[in-house]
Amino acid sequence: MKNKAKQKQIAIKILATIFSFLIFGLLWEMLVRFSDVGRVMPGPLETLQSFFEHFTEKYSAYTLPEHVWRSLRRVLTGYFFAAIAAIALGILMASYKTIDAIVSPLFNMVRPIPPVAWIPLAILWFGINDGSKYFLIFWASFLSMVQNVYAGTKSADPKLIGAAKMLGANDGHIFLTIVLPSAVPYIFSGLQLGINSAWAMAIGSEMIRSTDGVGWLIIRGMDNNNLLQELVGILAVGIVGFALASVLRGVEAKLCRWNKRGT
Amino acid sequence: MSMEQERDLTKRQMIVCDHVSKTFYTKNTETKVIADLNITANENEFLVLFGPGQCGKTTALNVMAGLETATSGTVTVGNEIVTKPGPERGFVYQTTALFPWYTVMKNVEYGPRARGMSKKERRKKAQYYIDLVGLGGFENSFPNQLSGGMQQRVGIARAYCNEPAVLFMDEPFGHLDAQTRYLMQEEIIRIWEKERRTVVFVTNNIEEAVYLADRVIVLTNCPTRVKKEFIIDLPRPRNYTDDKFLNLRAEIQDVVDKTL
Amino acid sequence: MDKKRLKYFVISCTSVIVFLGIWYLCTAVLELVRPTSLPDPVTVVKTFFYKLTHKAPDGATLMQHMYSSLRVALMGYALSLIIGIPLGILMAWSKPIDLLASPVFDFVKAIPGLAWAPMMIILMGIGIASKGVTIFISGMIPCVLNAYVGIKQTKEVHLWVARTFGATRRQMLFKVAIPTALPYIITGARVSLGACWMTIVAAEMVASSSGLGYMIQQCRGIYRPDVIIVGMLTIGFLGSLLTALLGCIERALVKGRDYEK
Repeated sequence: MKNKAKQKQIAIKILATIFSFLIFGLLWEMLVRFSDVGRVMPGPLETLQSFFEHFTEKYSAYTLPEHVWRSLRRVLTGYFFAAIAAIALGILMASYKTIDAIVSPLFNMVRPIPPVAWIPLAILWFGINDGSKYFLIFWASFLSMVQNVYAGTKSADPKLIGAAKMLGANDGHIFLTIVLPSAVPYIFSGLQLGINSAWAMAIGSEMIRSTDGVGWLIIRGMDNNNLLQELVGILAVGIVGFALASVLRGVEAKLCRWNKRGT
Repeated sequence: MSMEQERDLTKRQMIVCDHVSKTFYTKNTETKVIADLNITANENEFLVLFGPGQCGKTTALNVMAGLETATSGTVTVGNEIVTKPGPERGFVYQTTALFPWYTVMKNVEYGPRARGMSKKERRKKAQYYIDLVGLGGFENSFPNQLSGGMQQRVGIARAYCNEPAVLFMDEPFGHLDAQTRYLMQEEIIRIWEKERRTVVFVTNNIEEAVYLADRVIVLTNCPTRVKKEFIIDLPRPRNYTDDKFLNLRAEIQDVVDKTL
Repeated sequence: MDKKRLKYFVISCTSVIVFLGIWYLCTAVLELVRPTSLPDPVTVVKTFFYKLTHKAPDGATLMQHMYSSLRVALMGYALSLIIGIPLGILMAWSKPIDLLASPVFDFVKAIPGLAWAPMMIILMGIGIASKGVTIFISGMIPCVLNAYVGIKQTKEVHLWVARTFGATRRQMLFKVAIPTALPYIITGARVSLGACWMTIVAAEMVASSSGLGYMIQQCRGIYRPDVIIVGMLTIGFLGSLLTALLGCIERALVKGRDYEK
């Protein structure tokens, strides 16, 4: 019985999702048909068609999936190293007051500067090629992750630490079995924030200077007054961003089973 | 008085609190929570510390366990002076202090694992205590999937699994509903009769105190000191409605009323 | 206790001084890096005071750039608050709207705000309008999201209590749900401000003729990292200032109510 109710709910949700996108498409179509915007802006069907056509057709040197892959590769590389660095530094800062005192003031000086504002300097330092993009993606995701890791490491319940001590655990064991697991949910929300910033930064840095990637696609659309190409790019950005966030959510749900309320 | 001293001589003293006091300091205030506490617990005795709501019972227990340090005086457990938390003393918390990311099995075997016991050995030991508290079949459940009473059972098994000489219990049933509470009182006595340990049990419920204890120590309001001691020599299993039970209960209530 | 705090304070100060010292040593003294990639700190300070009143090398004084960026950012921000918060509340409060709007919103959420900038530029030209709309979109997302989550936090029990007292649905929304959501909405407003500020800088770098983002982008082309760093620090400082101002407004708004607990 419970299963059936659940199935019904899922069915409603799927229907609503389809309906939702249909209405959105309809509004878009109407906007294009019955207003001046239609002169420069393509409709939803045209956009979708172009989107699928470019799985094989090329924009400049690459097809759409190849452009996406080029952006994605930059994101994943930068993000991977940023995650390692952020987790390491966050834990160190939260565990050792001296390190905290050394790093915090420097960190607080640069933290208010939005990562995109680093683009010009990064290009001067690392050149206009991939070097600067790796740095920027690293930096953007690092900034949004490190604080969560720090807060998470600090969040361990003193009562649980006391309980572990009463059971005979030493500091190292407490760190591995109490402090780290307490931090995991925080680390995950940091990872989630980080992947968002990394993806946004990849698009941003490609828009400002590059020869491939989805960000390039969008900006080249602007330069050529080609809205169709831009919309295809935006669609791709949305799909990839959505997929990246979903993957992380899935991993989190699996790893943090204990964090959900009773079943 | 002379009778109590006689009793003390025949049994080994397991816990001795010698003129323990505890004051908490914050920026501009100081709060004296324990005035001058002298308590002894004998080997394998079920000792209940009973006191009104906000007196320093929990603090006293924390000091005895080594979770907090006394401002003056010493606590001796066995032959050693307590300075820090350690596995020779078990602790069962007021609200559940289980590790939410571990299953029941991993919670119970935490102590032996922390001390480096082999996996096979500690699994066997943990299984014994899980069965003892009546949770066989729930080894792989996470704490948030269990009811409050079951969570406290896990807490008891976890404390027992380290095989400490003494067990401290800080109002472990305080958050349970009345029915479960009665059940757990029976259970803790059953477990204790099977696996004898020195138990120091803190409660603010007179009925619970009389039901469980070999000896009840009534504490005063803050700053805490010993008000009076009662020896409960009723045979077990006890009956909440027995005349003797009710008399003892009334007697203790009398003493408490005078405190307020 | 205080002695310990003093110790860490001294460590922090030393850390900053050592950092500036190394920077100075590597640039001005040892000349390990070319001044076209990293100027020494003294030059940066000098450039800052110079830029306050001089238009070279990018066509406007620092003040003019600041004014230009702030104006557009705050306009877009205001718009995103006015539209985003009610939209979020509506989505959470009305089941049909939730079912129909959430899927599209979830998708739009995944698109970084500045990806819209080129499209808006084609549609509206390089100017305030295109940037304003881009900022509006990036700022609106956190507003909607937090208002939505906040309203969803409303406890069933509170609604039941309200219903027992004969509250209408509208009263339940305004007297129960929105007060519950207020702390979330405020958080949303804060996140949104950060998003707006970031997007204006990015949008100005993509296509613009004024503003702080434009300034640092132009100075990259002519190898003037000193102006870039002045620009970055100004952007960071203004961002913190705006956040602090919002904090003041926030405290005034929720005065007397202890929402933190």
